[in-house]
Amino acid sequence: MGIKETLGHLLETAQQELETIRDKQALEALRVRIIGKKGELTALLRGMGQLLPEERPAAGQMINEAREKFTAMLEARQEALRMIERRAALQKETIDVTEPVPPLPLGSAHPVNLVMAEMVDCFTGMGFEVVEGPEVELDHYNFELMNIPKNHPARDAQDTFYVDDNIVLRTHTSPMQARTMLSRKPPIRVICPGRVFRSDEADATHSPVFHQMEGLVVDRDVTMADLRGTLNAFAERLYGKGITTRFRPSFFPFTEPSTEVDLTCAACHGKGCRVCKGTGWIEVLGGGMVNPHVLEMCGIDPTVYSGFAFGIGLERIAMQRYGIPDLRLLYEGDVRFLGQFR
Amino acid sequence: MKVPMKWIREYADIPADAETYMNKMIMIGDGVEGYEALGAEVENVVVGRVLTCVDHPDSDHLHITTVDVGGEAPLQIVCGAPNVAAGQLVPVALAGARLPGGVKIKKGKMRGEVSEGMICSGQELGVPPELYPNIWEKGILVFNEDYPLGADVKPILGLDDTVMDFEVLANRPDCLSVWGIARETAVALGTEFKKPAITVTETGKGDIRDYVKVEVEDPDLCPRYVARVIDNVRVGPSPKWLREYLFGAGMRSINNVVDITNFVMLETGHPMHAFDLDKVAGRHVIVRRAKAGETITTLDGKQHEMQAGQLAICDAEKPSCVAGVMGGEESEITESTRSVMFECAVFDYAATRLTARALGIRTESSGRFEKGVNIRTPLEAMQRACQLIHELDAGDVVPGVIDLWPDPVPEQVVTGSCARIARRAGVDIPPEDIVRILESLHFGVKREGDLLTCTVPDFRQDITVGEADLCEEALRVYGYDHIPGTPLRGETTPGGRSAQMRLRDTASGLLTGLGFCEIMNYSFVSPKSVEKLGLAEGDPRLNMLAIRNPLGEDTSVMRTTLVPDMLKTLALNINHGNETALLFEASTVFDPAARTAENLPSETRKLCLGGYGKAVDFFTLRAVCERLLNALGVPFTAERFTETYLHPGRAARLVSGNETVCVIGEVNPDVRDRFELTARACIAELDLDQLLRMQTPMGTVKPMPRFPAVSRDLSLVMAETVEAGPMLRDLSAAGGSLLEDAKMFDVYRSPVLGPDRKSVAFSFVFRAPDRTLTEAEIGKAMDKILKLAEEKYGAVIRG
Repeated sequence: MGIKETLGHLLETAQQELETIRDKQALEALRVRIIGKKGELTALLRGMGQLLPEERPAAGQMINEAREKFTAMLEARQEALRMIERRAALQKETIDVTEPVPPLPLGSAHPVNLVMAEMVDCFTGMGFEVVEGPEVELDHYNFELMNIPKNHPARDAQDTFYVDDNIVLRTHTSPMQARTMLSRKPPIRVICPGRVFRSDEADATHSPVFHQMEGLVVDRDVTMADLRGTLNAFAERLYGKGITTRFRPSFFPFTEPSTEVDLTCAACHGKGCRVCKGTGWIEVLGGGMVNPHVLEMCGIDPTVYSGFAFGIGLERIAMQRYGIPDLRLLYEGDVRFLGQFR
Repeated sequence: MKVPMKWIREYADIPADAETYMNKMIMIGDGVEGYEALGAEVENVVVGRVLTCVDHPDSDHLHITTVDVGGEAPLQIVCGAPNVAAGQLVPVALAGARLPGGVKIKKGKMRGEVSEGMICSGQELGVPPELYPNIWEKGILVFNEDYPLGADVKPILGLDDTVMDFEVLANRPDCLSVWGIARETAVALGTEFKKPAITVTETGKGDIRDYVKVEVEDPDLCPRYVARVIDNVRVGPSPKWLREYLFGAGMRSINNVVDITNFVMLETGHPMHAFDLDKVAGRHVIVRRAKAGETITTLDGKQHEMQAGQLAICDAEKPSCVAGVMGGEESEITESTRSVMFECAVFDYAATRLTARALGIRTESSGRFEKGVNIRTPLEAMQRACQLIHELDAGDVVPGVIDLWPDPVPEQVVTGSCARIARRAGVDIPPEDIVRILESLHFGVKREGDLLTCTVPDFRQDITVGEADLCEEALRVYGYDHIPGTPLRGETTPGGRSAQMRLRDTASGLLTGLGFCEIMNYSFVSPKSVEKLGLAEGDPRLNMLAIRNPLGEDTSVMRTTLVPDMLKTLALNINHGNETALLFEASTVFDPAARTAENLPSETRKLCLGGYGKAVDFFTLRAVCERLLNALGVPFTAERFTETYLHPGRAARLVSGNETVCVIGEVNPDVRDRFELTARACIAELDLDQLLRMQTPMGTVKPMPRFPAVSRDLSLVMAETVEAGPMLRDLSAAGGSLLEDAKMFDVYRSPVLGPDRKSVAFSFVFRAPDRTLTEAEIGKAMDKILKLAEEKYGAVIRG
C-alpha cells in the first residue's frame, strides 16, 4: 500500500470514528492517536526517512495535507459537540415563561397633577413661564387688585376663608396676575397653577380645597382672538384633534370683555350626549381681556398694553377626563383609586 | 331669576320657541339655567258642565255624573269628590288625557258604572292652591267664571306658559327685572322693547305732606328715598294675571297692595315696601342707623335685636323696618289698612349685605340691594306702582311725591374709538355695526369719525371702564362666535417650568418609578391631629395658623407638617383592606410665626413619604430618601434621631452640612394607636425648598479609570451597639487617598460570636489613577483601617 492510500484510509477511519464520538475525552484520545507524539500520522512523518530522497517532498506534502484535513475534521466535530452540549444546557434551563410574576409596585402621580403636568407642557411650549405664589394671600392681591373691592357682590360668589381682615386663603389663582404684573415688564406670558380655597362643604362636586391654573398674557395689541387661538391650541393638545372652543359672554370683575369657554364635548365630539347633557359642549374655563383698570392698578399702561387672562379648574378636567364620579375620591388617598392612574 | 315668557312678551316680542330663545339669550351673555313649560304634562283636559249628579248605588262616596263637554252627547263620569254638584263648570280629563306624574286617563268602569273620563282637582292638574285660592279646595276645581264648554283648560289655569330661569351676571343687576330681561330679549332677537306708558291718576285728596313726614338722617346709607301715599286703600285679592305672574316668578300672592310692590320689584328691579300709615307712630318716617339694642319684629314673625349702625326705617318711636331687608310686622298691610305709604328707596349695597348677613335674613329685596339697585330709576318704579293701584282700583293715589335725593348722579358719558374696540375684540366689527348695537342697547351714540361719545342708559351701572365696556357690549351682540382664533404674536418668551416645579417633578418621577402613589390632602387640619404627634411643648409645629371662619374644627388650622395627614391616609388604606401602600404628598405648610416681608405667614413646600406592608421597612424607606438626595446631588450622612412620633430605636435623620434634610423612621406605636394605624408603618418628611437651595448640578464626568482596582473584604466582630454608618465613614477616611469605594455588605449574628456581638462585613476598593497598586501599598492602607477599627470601635477580625 502506498503512502497515499495509507493516508486516505487513515482519514477515512478517523472520519467514521469522529462521527461516533460524543464527548471531549474521546475526541482528545483520537487526536492523540492520530497526531499525538506517538500518533499514526506522526509515525508516518517520522518514517519518511526510509523513503528515497526524491520521494520525500511529495510524501511530506501529502502527510501535512492529511494532518490539516484531520485537524479540520477534529475541530468541526468539536464545534458540533459544543453545539449539542449548549443545546442540552439551554433545554435544561427552560422555564415556564407564562408563570405569573409578582408585580412591581405601581406608582402614580395624582390625577390632578397629571392634568396639571399636561397643561403645563402645553403652555410652556407656547412660551409661557410657570410662576407660583402664596396660598395664604393678602386680600389686596386676591380681591382689591382684581377689581373686587370690599363688600363687592362678587365676593359673595367666592366664599372666602379669612385669616384676618387683610389675609385670606386665596380664592383663585388670579392674585398671581397682579403679583406678576407688578414684578415684570411686558411681554408677559405666565401660567400659575396652584391650590385655591373656598368655604364650600365637600360633596361629589365641591371641595373646600381645589386647584386652578391661571394664564396671563400682556403685550402690545393682545386681542380676544389671541385668547381664543391660545385656548384652541390648548383644547386640541389636551383633548385631541377636532376639539375647539365656544366663547360665551360672561362677567368677571378683572376682565372686560369676559367669556366663559366651552370645549367640544370629547365624549361625543359635539354631537350631544349624556356627558354634555346633549349640548355638545363642556364648560371648562373662564377668561377675557384684562380689565384696563386692573392693568392700571398693577402699574401697566393700558393705553400701550393689553392682555388676556384665563383660569382653569383642574379637578373638573381630571374628573371629566378620567370619569371620576366623586370629587372626594381625589382627596381620600385610597391606593385602589390612585393606583389606576398612569 | 324666574320669569314667565308671557310677562316678557308684554314688553318684547319673542318670535322663537323656548329653546332657541334660551340659546340666543345665552349667546349675548344673559345666562339661562333652563326653562320649565308649565302644564307640559297636561293634555286633553277641557271645560265641562255637570248636568246631573246622583249617588252611585254601590258606593257610599262615589257619584255618577253626566257632563257636557261640548260634544254630541254628554259623558257619564264617576266622580268621588265630595263637592261635585250639578250645574258646576269643571275641568274634565277626557279618555286619552294625560296628567302630571305620567297619569293617563282611560274609559273604564267603576263599581259597574261606565266612566268616560275624570273630573279633576287642582292637585291632579298641578295647579297650586295659592294661584286659585277661591276655587282650589278639597275636591274638584270649580270654575267661578264662564268658559265655553270643551275649551282647553290650560290657558284658563295658566298652564300654557313657559318659565325661563335666568342666571343674571353679577354686573347686570338691571337684569334682575322683567324690563331688563325684555330689553336684552329685544336685542337678542332683533325685536323692539316696548316699555309701558306710565301715567298716574291721582284720585286722593290733599298732598302727601299732609299724610306723612319723611326724613333721611343717614343719606350715606340711603342716598335716595322716594315715597308716595295711597289713601282709602281697598285691600283684597289680586286679579288672576297678577297672581299668575307672581307665581311664575316664584313668589306668593298676598293681597293686591303687597302684590303690586312685588310685581313692581320684579318688573323694574326696584324693591318696594308698603307701610300701614296708621301704624307709623307720629306718621313720621325716619331713615337712620339703629341704636344698639333696638329691636324689631319682622314680617316673618321673628324678633331681631339690631346692632348699632344697621340702617332702619323708623317711625317717631322705634325701628319699623330693616332697611332693604325686611319690613316689620307692626306696619304690615292687613285687611283693615286704610292708608299706605309706598317706599321705593336705594340703600347702600355693602351695608345691606352686612345687615342681611348679620340678621341671617335673605330676601328678594336684600338680594337686589346687595347687587346694587339703580339710583336713577326709583321714581319711575314708584309711578308704576301707583299706576297699578289705580288700575286695580286698590286705593286713591294722593297727589305729591317725596323724593329725597340730595346728591343726584349726573348722566354718564363714555368715549371710545371704533378701531380700538375692534382691535381689542380681535374682530373687524364695522363702525356702523358698533353704533347700531350700542343704540339697540339704549346708549345715546354720537360718532365723529372713529370716535364714539356714548351716553350710558340710566339703567346701566356696570359701564365703568369706558372703551373696554363698549367693546364687550359691541362684541357680545355682534357675536362671540365671530372671534377668530389667532396664534400668539410678538416678541417670543422662553417659557418653562419654575425651579420648584422641576424639583417636584423630579421627586415625583423618581417616587412613582419606585412604586409610590401621590396623595393630596386639604391644606387645613384639626389642631388635634397635630397634637396627636405628641410634640414637645413649644415645638413650632404646634403654632398653627388659624382660619377665622373655618368649615369646622376638622379644617380649622393650616398644616405645619404633612405627617398627620399621611398617618391618616395610611390608616385609611389599612382599614380599606389594602395589603400595602407606598404614598407621598408634596404640599405647602404654613408658619404663622415666621412672616414674609408682606407680613404673610411663611410657606414651605414639604415632601412626605409613608408606607406600610411586607416590603416596607425603615431601611427601604431610608434607601428611597437617599436615592432622592443622590438624584439631587445633596450629600448626606445618616444619624440616630429622636422625634416624638417616631419609634425611639428606629428613627434617623439625614444631615447635609449642618442641616437636617430628612427625618425618617418607623411610626411610634403610641402615635399609631392615636391614628388607629393597626400595622407598622414608616414615614419620612423632607423640605423641598431646602432641597431646591441645596441641590447641585451634576457637573462634568470623571475620566474612566485606566488602572485596575483591587478589592479587599473584611469581616469585623464588634459589640452590637456599634453603629455601622459612622464606623464605615471612619474606616473610609482611614483608608486614605487610594481608597476608591467602601461598602458594608453583610451583618452576621451567631452564638459563636458571643452575646451582643455582631460580625459586619465590609468591602474596600483601592485604585490609583496613575499606576497599578502594589500589595505593599494596599496592605498598608488595610492596616490603618484595621487599626482604627480596633482602637475606636473595639472591632477585631473575625477568626
